[in-house]
Amino acid sequence: MTYLAVKQLNKHYGATQIFENIDFSADEGEFVTLLGPSGCGKSTLLRCLAGLTPVDSGQILLQGVDLVPMSPQQRGIGMVFQSYALFPNMSVNDNVAFGLKMQKQPANDIRRRVDEALALVELNEFAHRYPHQLSGGQCQRVALARSLVTRPRLLLLDEPLSALDARIRKHLRDQIRRIQQELRLTAIFVTHDQEEALTLSDRVVLMNKGKIVQNGSAEVLYTQPVDAFAAGFIGSYNVLDAREAGLLTGRSWRGQVAIRPESIVLLPAGQGIDALIVSHSLLGNVIRYRVSTQGIELLVDVLNRSVGDLHPNGMPIGLQLDIATLCEVA
Amino acid sequence: MSRFENLYHRSVVTVLLVILLSPLAATLVYAFSSQWGSTILPEGFTLKWMIQLWQDPRFLVALGHSLLICFGALALAVVLVLPLMFVIAYYFPRLDSVMNVLILLPFAVPPVVSSVGLLQLYSDGPLAITGTPWILVGCYFTIALPFIYRAITNNMQAIHLRDLMDAAQLLGASTWRAALLVVLPNLRKGCTIAILLSFSFLIGEFVFANLLVGNRFETLQVYLYNSRNGSGHFTSALVISYFFVVLLLTLVANAVSKDKESS
Repeated sequence: MTYLAVKQLNKHYGATQIFENIDFSADEGEFVTLLGPSGCGKSTLLRCLAGLTPVDSGQILLQGVDLVPMSPQQRGIGMVFQSYALFPNMSVNDNVAFGLKMQKQPANDIRRRVDEALALVELNEFAHRYPHQLSGGQCQRVALARSLVTRPRLLLLDEPLSALDARIRKHLRDQIRRIQQELRLTAIFVTHDQEEALTLSDRVVLMNKGKIVQNGSAEVLYTQPVDAFAAGFIGSYNVLDAREAGLLTGRSWRGQVAIRPESIVLLPAGQGIDALIVSHSLLGNVIRYRVSTQGIELLVDVLNRSVGDLHPNGMPIGLQLDIATLCEVA
Repeated sequence: MSRFENLYHRSVVTVLLVILLSPLAATLVYAFSSQWGSTILPEGFTLKWMIQLWQDPRFLVALGHSLLICFGALALAVVLVLPLMFVIAYYFPRLDSVMNVLILLPFAVPPVVSSVGLLQLYSDGPLAITGTPWILVGCYFTIALPFIYRAITNNMQAIHLRDLMDAAQLLGASTWRAALLVVLPNLRKGCTIAILLSFSFLIGEFVFANLLVGNRFETLQVYLYNSRNGSGHFTSALVISYFFVVLLLTLVANAVSKDKESS
């Protein structure tokens, strides 16, 4: 049975439609990511789930009960904010205990559960510090502990990693995923970062301009984008029109065709399709070439094995396209 | 930064400090000197003026009046404005621009003009409070508004009020409890600054105090004005004492807010 079901949800501010007819669901213990460019309505959708923003119409069924008429206090939902939203006047301990105090739990229980929650995010020794004495990553871990301590039925994460630097972001990302799996939490995660979405999620809901574009597992989203927007947003697909694709493959295509840069193989000059290296950039473990063939420019990713393999700009080269990895998009 | 630049910056700050502090220092010396007229340096030092001032019951009453009116006006301002600002910041953020204009109105009209208006308005009719301290409390309230509003708005923006309220409500707190437990304690810094700023401004206010109330409820500045024909040493002692009171209150307020932070 579906744990969370969002049905025909609509929201607009004045004349602007923020999102319309949103339908998606999540199973118990599933990690679902709402992915999309900024302004696509994903954050507003999350706030509607939390009850912080009212919806115009539609249903949000959690364990079969409609949340829409309920206040945020009644919903039993935990949320982590991009700005951490820790209470600056309270110590780490008091921040985490806040939700339990509001529930009027006995003092002994509060102490035990706060300790457990802080242990989960490995912050026990910081219990008496204040938020301004912590780093960004530590603040976000406190915020996570604070939202987990009340055992929410649903955990919402609104771009929780966006304000952190790259190294801490990766570490905290893994920690969030580990905790979510340990506690079998149902989580909805909002991000505009495709790498975050692909590494963390059981399922990705891709949104654009207030609508769901594609809803599926990370693998499906990556290998079978449904349209040019999905292909452009996830991975750095080469999107070709039907004529260009026909020129390269010798077959006829009906619509646009997407080719992933890593599925194109570089061959020595004279083999495959003749092409010329236009430029290259080093992405670390990958070298990204811009190559040109018959007036068409393509991106090609090659694993960076050794300096000797590097092809200089202007060098003639051959291309091999694997027809099976080509994907027709609407 | 080069050595020359460093020296330059230091000298600018020093000159500024000297310009700001020298009148005060001269007043201080004058207040403690027995005679300082025809010589470059004072002829001798004495505590006579200070003792005379602090033993004058009229001075003590005036000081009491000033403190009462200032704190009355500030208490009124905080009690009325704080909830209003919270409501604007949380429920009607668009009204902020309207408030910004509204809040500057007391400064748009010169005190001499607006006091004439106030005199006409409150001399008879349902609220005949001219000559009573109440009209000053009300008037000072409007003067303090810009200081209080600006300081607290900045504070509210700095703490991400909306996120804090959202987080507290999702953790089960009602709007009231969230405002009381989460927002109010974090506005302490802004409130302290606002109150100190407006206090030191209000206690030095003369035009409204003299025109609206005058001798019927003598405040510090009116008393100073009335002593203008007495000894200059005596009025200097008065000015120094008044600075000292403001300084003392500032130090106390700072100490109180620091204590709470470290606890």
